[in-house]
Amino acid sequence: MAPGSAQRTPAAGRNRPGMEARVPAGGAHSVCMVSDFFYPNMGGVESHVYQLSQCLIERGHKVLVVTHAYGRRRGIRYLTNGLKVYYLPLKVMYNQSTATTLFHSLPLLRCVFVRERVTIVHAHSSFSAMAHDALFHAKTMGLRTVFTDHSLFGFADVSSVLTNKLLTVSLCDTNHIICVSYTSKENTVLRAALDPRIVSVIPNAVDPTDFTPDPSRRDDNTITIVVVSRLVYRKGIDLLSGIIPELCQKYPELHFLVGGEGPKRIILEEVRERYQLHDRVRLLGALEHQDVRNVLVQGHIFLNTSLTEAFCMAIVEAASCGLQVVSTRVGGIPEVLPENLIILCEPSVKSLCDGLEKAIAQLRSGTLPSPETVHNKVKTFYTWRNVAERTEKVYDRVADEVVLPMDERLNRLMSHCGPVTGCIFALFAVLNFLFLAFLRWMTPDSVIDVAIDATGPKGAWTKQYFLGKKGRVKEELPSS
Amino acid sequence: MEPVLGRRWQKVLYERQPFPDNYVDQRFLEELRKNVHARQYRYWAVVFQSGAVVQQLCSVCIFVVTWWYMEAGMLSPQGLFGAALVTSLLGYILFDAVDGGAGRRESGRTRWADLKSTLVFTAFTYGFSPVLKTLTESISTDTIYAMSSLMLLGHLIFFDYGANAAIVSSTLSLNMAIFASVCLASRLPRSLHAFVMVTFAMQIFALWPMLQKKLKAQTPQCYVGVTLLFALVALAGLATVSSVGAVLFTLLLLAISCLCPYCLIRLQLLKDNIHGPWDEAEIKEDLSRFLM
Repeated sequence: MAPGSAQRTPAAGRNRPGMEARVPAGGAHSVCMVSDFFYPNMGGVESHVYQLSQCLIERGHKVLVVTHAYGRRRGIRYLTNGLKVYYLPLKVMYNQSTATTLFHSLPLLRCVFVRERVTIVHAHSSFSAMAHDALFHAKTMGLRTVFTDHSLFGFADVSSVLTNKLLTVSLCDTNHIICVSYTSKENTVLRAALDPRIVSVIPNAVDPTDFTPDPSRRDDNTITIVVVSRLVYRKGIDLLSGIIPELCQKYPELHFLVGGEGPKRIILEEVRERYQLHDRVRLLGALEHQDVRNVLVQGHIFLNTSLTEAFCMAIVEAASCGLQVVSTRVGGIPEVLPENLIILCEPSVKSLCDGLEKAIAQLRSGTLPSPETVHNKVKTFYTWRNVAERTEKVYDRVADEVVLPMDERLNRLMSHCGPVTGCIFALFAVLNFLFLAFLRWMTPDSVIDVAIDATGPKGAWTKQYFLGKKGRVKEELPSS
Repeated sequence: MEPVLGRRWQKVLYERQPFPDNYVDQRFLEELRKNVHARQYRYWAVVFQSGAVVQQLCSVCIFVVTWWYMEAGMLSPQGLFGAALVTSLLGYILFDAVDGGAGRRESGRTRWADLKSTLVFTAFTYGFSPVLKTLTESISTDTIYAMSSLMLLGHLIFFDYGANAAIVSSTLSLNMAIFASVCLASRLPRSLHAFVMVTFAMQIFALWPMLQKKLKAQTPQCYVGVTLLFALVALAGLATVSSVGAVLFTLLLLAISCLCPYCLIRLQLLKDNIHGPWDEAEIKEDLSRFLM
């Protein structure tokens, strides 16, 4: 990552003596993470891919990331600890997702897979067309495949019927699937008609060193409620527009601090205008990831009004900063924090106001645990090291499995995805196989140069190199 | 790692549990709900509701047949105007009689206002009928027919049959019907014909559905009788123009009122709608009050 962001690299960003020599118990894997979403784009999936890669590198695996070109950022880049990123020149279609023809990315991806000697392809996010393409090509090439689903999807409307069908096709012959919460697992199993035993639940994590409490930053003469989210309908901003006037009328010392940007900002501005709350409701606009903590520590209570959420990193980050969390009871949220750290409400203005009033009463009576206690508790819950350890188990398991040969793969597609879709995609699989055979004839695998490993057992990214870079070595913290 | 006896699996992520990550508990999918919002229909209730569609099809049919007679010169404009006037008056009395004048008291609309709008409308249509007659002279007759068919089809599509759908727009529907009537009226021999045709269109596409709606709400038996009678009149009229058309139209009406409800109920059994904690929550409150 760019030098600036290297400052906030995870625990794995540190150099450990003898790291290069370390070989994991199940053997080192050569993992290729594929997703349309990666740095410089910012979000949940992006940071998941980055942090997971860093921790896997720390565990001695060879990891590379493949994504599409972001503007002038194309070609090969190296990030912290020699994480190699391929920014492939593929056309972006919508919301940073590439257009897919199912075939056109094969030459590029094959080249990457062959020259990097990839053994496991790990695709991320069901919204990423590139991830699905990569799974399709990897299966044709006989590589093992893992897929991580980061989002929830409904079943009722036409668009979800179509996307769910495509997901069924994409996942029916994938070796293993990872979901970020149990609710997300149930959702994915239903959507893609999967055997639940090939679906693992591995939660997201936050870096606790990035989200530390700082009670001196808050103003204890007032009560501040913090909201950090994109201001869109799915995050329940409409509910927020009802909560703000309701509570501000009741509690004169209450302040709101809203971080984030989006189309729903206008209704918050209207509410502020209508009730003359300019001094009490501050809209901060879009926040950089490193500024989130500075906003969080200014508040006493964190409010999350999401209408759907697979995991919700925001509430973990807030709790890690020592705030009392009030949230809607939707999706995977009830699984994320224990009951004494979160107040769960129904997604309605009334219920959320009740929850906030409860939190305010606790705050006034001083029965809330201190931020430091909360932080110390939360930091043991979710760590990227733990995520990487559990993901490594999935890789070990997948490495022992056999990849379906072509005939079985076609059978699986036709029996599993319905007569029409199944046959169409079986045909595509055959075409893809022929295309691959053609490419192999044009440029045999033996002709393709083998890249020098930057990470992994034979990693060339030496310790000297990045000890020389100042500011990249962070203080070692007791690991959880 | 094997499940440890005596320790129950919990659906939480913050605790390290002695189960493998791909462990499937008995409680897996226990919050799954099916067909939460599915409605159970009864056959005859659906048939009754399909009356609205039948009615509107018949209205279009009667309108086209009337136009046909006018163009062929088998129906004088004076005769049609007289008949329409009488039925309108009857309908007007009936409109107030079915609910005992309750609707009128509620809206607070006086009879004088009704008379005024009728007079204004009639006078304007009469005054502009020569223009209507010559408006589309430069357009070929085939284009006029194609346009009228499209407009009448549009009228049927956008008509408010009582369903709560985004496509419904009674304004658009009425406008399309009037447009079709102006198109067709311009192909009639004289401007008096055009005037009578447009007024007739107003009666059958604007006033008649209002009366229908009221009948349906107040006296369902009467509504069924009226619908049947109306359908028979439309069929008889069509039969005098084209017997093949009449047979096809009968089949269409039967399909809509008998076959379609049957299909709906059969297909309803196959409904498999899944709900669970992953569904996006709906905001059920009216939040606009905070901005007023």
